Amino acid sequence: MHQQKFLFPFLLFLLGVALLTTSPAAGATVSGRVVGSDGKGVAQAIVFVQALPPGVTPPPVSQSAIMDQVNKTFVPGLLPVVAGTEVHFPNHDQIQHHVYSFSRTKSFELPLYKGEEASPVVFDKAGVVKVGCNIHDWMSGIILVLPTPYYAVTDEGGQFTLQDLPPGAYTLACWHALSQVKVEETVQQVQADENSPEVKFTLSLATARPHPAIRGARGDR
Amino acid sequence: MSWWARSRLRSKIFCAFSALILVVSLAVLGFTQFIVSQQVQATLRQELLTTGQVFQGLLQEQAERLRTNAALLAGDFALKKVVAPASDYDPETLASAALNYQQRIGVDLLWMTDENGTLRADANAKKTSGTSVATLSPLAEALQSGEATTAITAIEGKLFQLVAVPVLGPDVIGFLVLGEEINDALAQQLEKDTGSRVTFLSHAQLFAASWGPLDRERLFPDGHIPAMLWDSQPNTTMLLHLASERFLSLLVPIAAHLPTPLFALVQRSYDTALAPFYDLRRRILGVGAGAILLALAVSIGLANGITTPIQGLVTSMHEILRGNFQQRLRVNRQDEIGFLADSFNEMAAGLEKGEQIKDTFGRFVSHDVAEAVLNGHIPLAGERREVTILFQDIRGFTSISEKLDPAELLRVLNQFFTEVVAAVEAEDGVVKQFTGDGAMVLFGAPVAHDDDPARAVRAALGIVHRLASLNARLRAQNGPLLRIGVGIHTGEVVAGRIGPDERVEYGVVGDPVNLASRIEGLTKEMQATLLVSQITAAKLGPGFTLGRSAALAVKGKEKPIEVVEVLAYEPVVEESHDESPSLIVSPSLTDH
Repeated sequence: MHQQKFLFPFLLFLLGVALLTTSPAAGATVSGRVVGSDGKGVAQAIVFVQALPPGVTPPPVSQSAIMDQVNKTFVPGLLPVVAGTEVHFPNHDQIQHHVYSFSRTKSFELPLYKGEEASPVVFDKAGVVKVGCNIHDWMSGIILVLPTPYYAVTDEGGQFTLQDLPPGAYTLACWHALSQVKVEETVQQVQADENSPEVKFTLSLATARPHPAIRGARGDR
Repeated sequence: MSWWARSRLRSKIFCAFSALILVVSLAVLGFTQFIVSQQVQATLRQELLTTGQVFQGLLQEQAERLRTNAALLAGDFALKKVVAPASDYDPETLASAALNYQQRIGVDLLWMTDENGTLRADANAKKTSGTSVATLSPLAEALQSGEATTAITAIEGKLFQLVAVPVLGPDVIGFLVLGEEINDALAQQLEKDTGSRVTFLSHAQLFAASWGPLDRERLFPDGHIPAMLWDSQPNTTMLLHLASERFLSLLVPIAAHLPTPLFALVQRSYDTALAPFYDLRRRILGVGAGAILLALAVSIGLANGITTPIQGLVTSMHEILRGNFQQRLRVNRQDEIGFLADSFNEMAAGLEKGEQIKDTFGRFVSHDVAEAVLNGHIPLAGERREVTILFQDIRGFTSISEKLDPAELLRVLNQFFTEVVAAVEAEDGVVKQFTGDGAMVLFGAPVAHDDDPARAVRAALGIVHRLASLNARLRAQNGPLLRIGVGIHTGEVVAGRIGPDERVEYGVVGDPVNLASRIEGLTKEMQATLLVSQITAAKLGPGFTLGRSAALAVKGKEKPIEVVEVLAYEPVVEESHDESPSLIVSPSLTDH
């Protein structure tokens, strides 16, 4: 299993080399910014390609991802994956966890387990999957299942860059955990080429509120 | 004159006493009623306010219980699976599951909604799934905050206390709404807990009440809420009537999500609370009536105690006025009444003795004589004693009386006798009787002096002297001039009370009396004014100037009587021979 960790970057590397060598012209970059209604950049927003231009075939990507459980927390808290990815939920705590999701996108349950006993879960449908632990109410993670492998996470300033896009007309969308704007309503058409325009998404964010279950002491934390 | 002035003292005391007791009793009762009703009102009001607070507390407690139950239920993983958006339960199964949960925690209402507030299951199957209840409190607030919220609200005309809690999976995947109906049973439970009647109502509707159906119909006919309820401010008490019973009532505002404010009408029977006082009032009235009767009896006794002796005094006074001086009061007390009675008795005794003296001696008794008689120094039973008897007569009275009209005659006579009495009393003699134009005077009875003969002669000389002045006045008035003759004799007589009881008088009996009278008769023959017997003359002592003497035959006496004319008296002053002596000389004695 540990070999997989090294296998994934290696494959990515090989893929990059192949792309660079075989198609130097293919590699449009689309960048832009996600801002809130107050005009400030929104971090941790995910901008992704909703629909590919006709004829563009997405490159093969890793079919596996990991959402770890460390110190009774899902790590990472937000995991974007491409549809079809199987996600492993290893438990690196000394206690058991009971990972579940009731989301429409993917509903599953991994009854009490430790270490890497649990089978991976395949997320084959794009959408938001909220993951929790039955015995620790405060544990909350999100797996964002994306339709294509082209996506970017905004930095602190709300900046994002989608790289290596084969030229063409793309449909972009934006998602954020606190966004009050539905993903479908963020959809924008973008022509990706050498002079791709700057793309701007404006999201209205709900005020982050403490998770109800986080009130009070967090057990042994 | 007013009734009060006319009425008797006893009636006055009686009335005043009764009125006072009545006023005091009523005042005490009125004051007690005022104080007690104030206190009862204050106590009831406090109890009602406490009840109001208890309600708030109980409702809050119920809300907390609901919230806890709901939170526990919402944390149940199995429930989460049921509620989860991905769950594939069909609506009937969901409703059945909801009913199961409802029965598990024993609440009146249990709803499951999705994360947007759309109903998925109603345990009571009253609302169809798919209905949005997102605007209903407290779900609306829970949707906003994502936290458990509670509220009192009306659902289809029924009052519910609801709690809405989010179901987390791990984010909000739905809501659980639990509710307890605020109904008659709850109101009755509250009444049991607090002792106050409870009604939950708004301006628009009566929701629940602890009243029985009959009372409820009386208070709220056809569920109609009387407008007067809203006249008072919340948290201030008012008195509401139900049939013949009064209820102290308080409107306690209850926070609720209703179109019009919700109140708990808390009521306690004012009359029941006052019942002990009413009982007390009955007792007070009973005791008061008894006290009034007792006080009346006492006042009658007291009034009698005061007025009976006074009445006796009044009666006795009437007797005294009628001349019955033997009248006495028998009052055995040491107070003012006793003093009054004693004073009256003393007064009556004084009057009686005075009358006795008057009866016995006539009006002309000197103070000393009266004193001696009253002190009992003079035995009135009869005794032999030596007295000097003076007879006086007006010369030629018959011719004078013929010349004068009767009124004038009496006026002159009275003027004369006034002088006679003055002269006699000056020497402590007693005018025993007036005999038309003359007088009989005693010296030595009833009070004896060492020098009674001298006193008698001085009195005679005094009469003669005073007559000179009187004649001077009579002359000025063109009246008749009076001349008199006086005879004096001294001898042993029997003195004492003479006559039947009703006409008893002090008198002397004996030959010397007759002799004195004879001597007076002799003055005509001797052309003398004042003749005394030799016996008297022998007892005169110094200072007297004697004139002629004679031995005259007297009727009924074998021996002639020796008489001496007295001309004047000059007191003997041994130390001062130089001073010219005052000489009592009868003018008439010097005339002839």
